[in-house]
Amino acid sequence: MSLEFSASVTLGGFRFEAAFDVRNEIVVLFGHSGAGKSVTLQMIAGLIPPVDGRIVIDDQVVFDHAHRINVPPQLRTTGYVVQDLALFPHMSVVENVAFGISGSKGDRRTRASKLLGTLGLDGCEDRRPRSLSGGQQQRVALARALGRGAKLLLLDEPFSALDESLRANLRRELLRLRAEMGLSIVFVTHDLREAHLLADRIAVFDDGRLLQFDTRDTVFKRPASRRVAELTGVANILRGTVVVAADGRIRVRCEGFELNCVQPQAQCEEGDAVDIAFRAERVVLRRAVPAVAPGQNVFAAEIIEEFAYGTGHTLRMRLAGTETVLDAELSARPYEVLHVAGRRAWTIELPAEDLHVMPR
Amino acid sequence: MGVGVLVLAFAVFFILPFAGLITRAIEGDRATWDLATSSVARDALALSVWTSTVTVMLAVVFGTPVAYVLARTNFPGRSLCDALIDLPIVLPPTVAGVALLTAFGRRGLIGEPIEAWTGFTFGFRTLAVIMAQTLVAAPFYVRAARAGFSAVDPQFERVAYTLGASRFRAFFRVLAPQARSAMLAGVVLCWARAMGELGATLIFAGSLQGSTQTMPLAILGAFEGSNGLTGAVALSLVLLGVALLALWLFRVVAQRAGSEG
Repeated sequence: MSLEFSASVTLGGFRFEAAFDVRNEIVVLFGHSGAGKSVTLQMIAGLIPPVDGRIVIDDQVVFDHAHRINVPPQLRTTGYVVQDLALFPHMSVVENVAFGISGSKGDRRTRASKLLGTLGLDGCEDRRPRSLSGGQQQRVALARALGRGAKLLLLDEPFSALDESLRANLRRELLRLRAEMGLSIVFVTHDLREAHLLADRIAVFDDGRLLQFDTRDTVFKRPASRRVAELTGVANILRGTVVVAADGRIRVRCEGFELNCVQPQAQCEEGDAVDIAFRAERVVLRRAVPAVAPGQNVFAAEIIEEFAYGTGHTLRMRLAGTETVLDAELSARPYEVLHVAGRRAWTIELPAEDLHVMPR
Repeated sequence: MGVGVLVLAFAVFFILPFAGLITRAIEGDRATWDLATSSVARDALALSVWTSTVTVMLAVVFGTPVAYVLARTNFPGRSLCDALIDLPIVLPPTVAGVALLTAFGRRGLIGEPIEAWTGFTFGFRTLAVIMAQTLVAAPFYVRAARAGFSAVDPQFERVAYTLGASRFRAFFRVLAPQARSAMLAGVVLCWARAMGELGATLIFAGSLQGSTQTMPLAILGAFEGSNGLTGAVALSLVLLGVALLALWLFRVVAQRAGSEG
């Protein structure tokens, strides 16, 4: 199962352009609302024609501007689940699922019931969708989308209306279905944790443009730009200028201090303006000052603000002698073991391999 | 207190005329009953019922696609089309009758050439009655159906398309069932309006017993004729009975539709 997507479109004042592909995997389209994620799904499903571009689903060209090909949604066999599910309220659950299945009436019902069984909905066949719980409705929508035998699922924030425990269950279910049925999934979400949990690869959208498309770990650890870092929840982004760059080791001067970074694939030269991004949980808190080795980033810092989230703590810290403020994240146990609450002045280390250098 | 008085006054005003009609019926002598069952009354009632039913069928067949297009597509001039369809609703029916004459009458835009070529005229035919009723009553159906379609999230049809449904199937299996009560309400309004049509029919079709004299025209005729008010009362009672029966029938149908949906 594969998808090749490249398209541009203008809707009102909104300009969209993006290209990515899906190969037997879950690709998460990530971004704020209005970034172009849902529009992408609708173009794949055939509900919005792009102005330009080419879309190929499993070697079938479904859209090609140059060759004037635009296959209607009825013939594209994608399983499309919209955010509010759009279950047909005047049909029973089994009728909903059978809607997309072709064949004789009895045949369709049998296959629909079987699909409902696969999704753990035995016994719900003749109920109305609105009499089901949110999680069950979600499963019915999935079953309906799978009814036509689509191998490409397009899911538009499908779990956004559910509470967290249900979402966790459904994500697990989705991963199971994917493995069992050999599905490829394009999953739209603005939830960072959900994106991280489900994605093989992530496409980061912002304002109608695809900013980065890469494996999950790369996007989270090596954001392509300051904007991607901001969108993917990187708390600390510092401006600086490259002082030395050699053998994947980069020394960057920031305001009042210098940072050593290890980044073999970085391409920058002395004098380049760069952004340095690192996650709050990568900041290491130390009680005593160890012997500082060359290439280590060790600073004195003071806690100026503190936020408790139950599972962890975010400490806002100012580097001594500078205006630079960083966020450090600590889970509950180390926070207590270190007695962070009783002390303001700390030593922090920023591991060189966790500092990601991006061109500005 | 103040509100109660207002409501009571309004209610009395609405109930009194019907009370008057029914009192006449109770006091009514043999003459009233004879008039109510006369051939004039029977012909007029039959004509009214079947022309109104044909009008409703025409409104549904031609009006449903119009309502769908207005609700689901966006084209330049859509609001103009909307306004044009509402026009007969706000226009006095007599104006509609005059307008029909200027188009289909013997000196009309189309009426004149058609008569010249084929000898066919529209006046004094049942066809003219149906045309007058359709022009005046069909907009009520189109309006109601359009509102019903607009109230259904287009997302349902889009999902249906991705599930392989043609536009046709998406309409009949997904959109129409969800807009059913609005469409039924439109049918009731349209039928009632057609049953009551007087002005346009009188001007365009005339009042000929058996072919163009519908119930309202027959009542008018009776009122102006030798039997005066007695004749009008007799026919009005018949029409009131039919209207109540129809209202009750539609309620039953609508309730059944509602409980299924």
